[in-house]
Amino acid sequence: MKTNVDVQIPLITLVGPPNSGKTTLFNTLSGKNYKTVNYPGSTVEYYTSRILAKYNINAELLDSPGIVSLIPESPDEKIAVDSLYSHPKLGVPDVLLVTVDACQLARHLLLPKQLIYKGFNVIVVLTMTDILAKRGKKVSESKLSRELNCEVVSVNGRSKKGIENLIQKVNLKLERLNEFDKGKITLNHSVKNDKTSIDFFNEIEEILKKIYEPLNPDDKIDLASANKELVVLQEEISNNGFSPDELTLKIDRVLLHRFWGFVIFLLVMGITFTSIFWLAQPLMNLIDELFTDLNTLVVQNFNPGWFTYLISDGIISGTGSVLVFVPQILILFLVLGLLEDSGYLARGAMLIDKPLSKIGLNGRSFVPMISGYACAIPAIIAARTIPNKKERLLTIFIIPLMSCSARLPVYALLIAYLIPKDKSWLGGIILGGIYLFSILTSVVVAFIINKFRKKIFTAEESSSFILELPTYKLPKFSSVLSHTYNSSKQYIYRAGPIILVFSLVLWFLTYFPHINPQVETNGITFEQKQNIERSERLEKSYAADLGKFIEPIMLPIGMDWRIGVSLISAFAAREVFVSSLALTFKVTTDDDQSQNTLLTSLREAKIQATGQKLFTTATSAGLIVFFIFALQCLSTVAVSRKETGGWKIPILQVLIFTSLAYVMTFITVNGLRFIGIQ
Amino acid sequence: MRTVAELNLGEKGIISEIDFSHPSSKRIIEHGFTPGQIIELINKSTFNDPIAVSIRGTLIAIRKSEAGCIKLK
Repeated sequence: MKTNVDVQIPLITLVGPPNSGKTTLFNTLSGKNYKTVNYPGSTVEYYTSRILAKYNINAELLDSPGIVSLIPESPDEKIAVDSLYSHPKLGVPDVLLVTVDACQLARHLLLPKQLIYKGFNVIVVLTMTDILAKRGKKVSESKLSRELNCEVVSVNGRSKKGIENLIQKVNLKLERLNEFDKGKITLNHSVKNDKTSIDFFNEIEEILKKIYEPLNPDDKIDLASANKELVVLQEEISNNGFSPDELTLKIDRVLLHRFWGFVIFLLVMGITFTSIFWLAQPLMNLIDELFTDLNTLVVQNFNPGWFTYLISDGIISGTGSVLVFVPQILILFLVLGLLEDSGYLARGAMLIDKPLSKIGLNGRSFVPMISGYACAIPAIIAARTIPNKKERLLTIFIIPLMSCSARLPVYALLIAYLIPKDKSWLGGIILGGIYLFSILTSVVVAFIINKFRKKIFTAEESSSFILELPTYKLPKFSSVLSHTYNSSKQYIYRAGPIILVFSLVLWFLTYFPHINPQVETNGITFEQKQNIERSERLEKSYAADLGKFIEPIMLPIGMDWRIGVSLISAFAAREVFVSSLALTFKVTTDDDQSQNTLLTSLREAKIQATGQKLFTTATSAGLIVFFIFALQCLSTVAVSRKETGGWKIPILQVLIFTSLAYVMTFITVNGLRFIGIQ
Repeated sequence: MRTVAELNLGEKGIISEIDFSHPSSKRIIEHGFTPGQIIELINKSTFNDPIAVSIRGTLIAIRKSEAGCIKLK
């Protein structure tokens, strides 16, 4: 045992190609108890953790994104590789655990070969040996160890078999750390006479000839499958000893079928997409009710005053508007996680790559775009998986055009206003139309932005799509769940504070300076009094001043300052639009009928300056169009700045999408009026 | 000379060389597409592009434009 307490905690870094079982090993060693860290000055995100106490290793464990080789292609990969040589905070790793899939040694040995060549202290962790055994093969750890000149341990991700052995080897390495000279490791991407990947592959082929052993004869193999394996083995000889998983090939005959493949893809995505809405709705209502009740509780039990309102309408409602999206984000990450873990998502990206490449995007843009229909914030973060910078920025650029769920209550209200009471079925059709319209317009916008992209982003041009299609397997529910949990936590931490701060700013603007209005209290209930006070307060607030200030630009699109105020308050979160509309139009009952009451008062509202009716078919349709395009979400702006590394893209997004919204609304309203629809 | 992009469904070929002038050539080699390897076209997607090939026991989806720089014997 070491007695020196001042000794720095050793750093163990996990590296490996994508789909090599790296994350499973990380979860096993860390007990899923990890925190995310960002590399300074980049968006590359890592997980770090202490190794579980039961393993008795005092070391920091760092996970890293999957890399195929040490020669980086994308900027994010470059940071990942550079940080192996010298992490800005943690230094050079003392031990590298390199995971390799035993069934894919012909490809996966490249990375450990390169790392050993560069002088890293490597332990190779062989994963998926159980799958290889099913194919009737076994890799000799000792032979591979001799060939690679490093330690090799087999670990089974599911049964945890081999973990003890790995821990032992790690401890041994840590005890002998003084024999390992980190100084030899140098960063040199571009040394001319360095070994090339082809050299390494040639060496790997030599290694592969020596390391396979027959399965232990004591193992139970039934005759039928053994014979089948034999046939497979004979086939494999012609294919360098490797062939893809038979079951995967069979499934792909259906899922990657020329015609049915795409139909199934659309179905899967349709189900994913609708589940975000329908599964989440009851939970969202629950959260909404909880915070409304909490709000009422505070208002009823404390003296009315600015502090009470700060608590109730500022902090409680603000927190509510952050948490109300958590169910959707949970479900989205859960479904996408299951699809990803099963191996389907990579196929989805392949199927959609061609259409998306036509508008300057990539097959990998697809998942972030679908996520955008729930919420733009996790969607923008998800765009990190796109290796090409240009395609990644373009994807982030158009994500705000995906009609996120916060716009749904606004659409619902305006559709309810537009359609006659006896034709409620029309609502669903209009809603479907809105989504279709938003998909089509985002395609058009992406196409146009792509044409002008050279003026917007200066990034490399070469577009690439090379993606491993992993073997199909049953998703591992526990790891999907923990990933879902962590992604949702990330959303709350990232977007939460911003949404809360802006809710507080808007609370201030809508409450001051006329904080305590005097109202006639005779013969009305407490709730009615509350609501009258609220609308009085809002009418004389700073937000109303702001609304009146922008009225000149609202009038051409058929709207007045009251809608202006509501649009301003919608900047905290779009769904606030409905409640703030209710306040500006003095809706005084607060029960189940409130939407009907709001509808009635909307029907009667007139523009004060002109005496025209305010909410006509034309202006309501215009408002829907406005919400389809406008980037009215300050949290999106903040995340976009963080992820693109500057203000240029978020500012352009706000300017372009908001002016587009204005122009399209103008065209809609005046176009409808021109053809006689008021 | 034929390239991987010109393979028919289910057809196998042996890689002869990689066109190094292609910007993706390095990445292609790192995925295991090296001279002498057997490659098989497993699937084509609905719009014919990208294609799924089997190399070194793994399925890899690759755009035709990139598969075009993998030359066959």
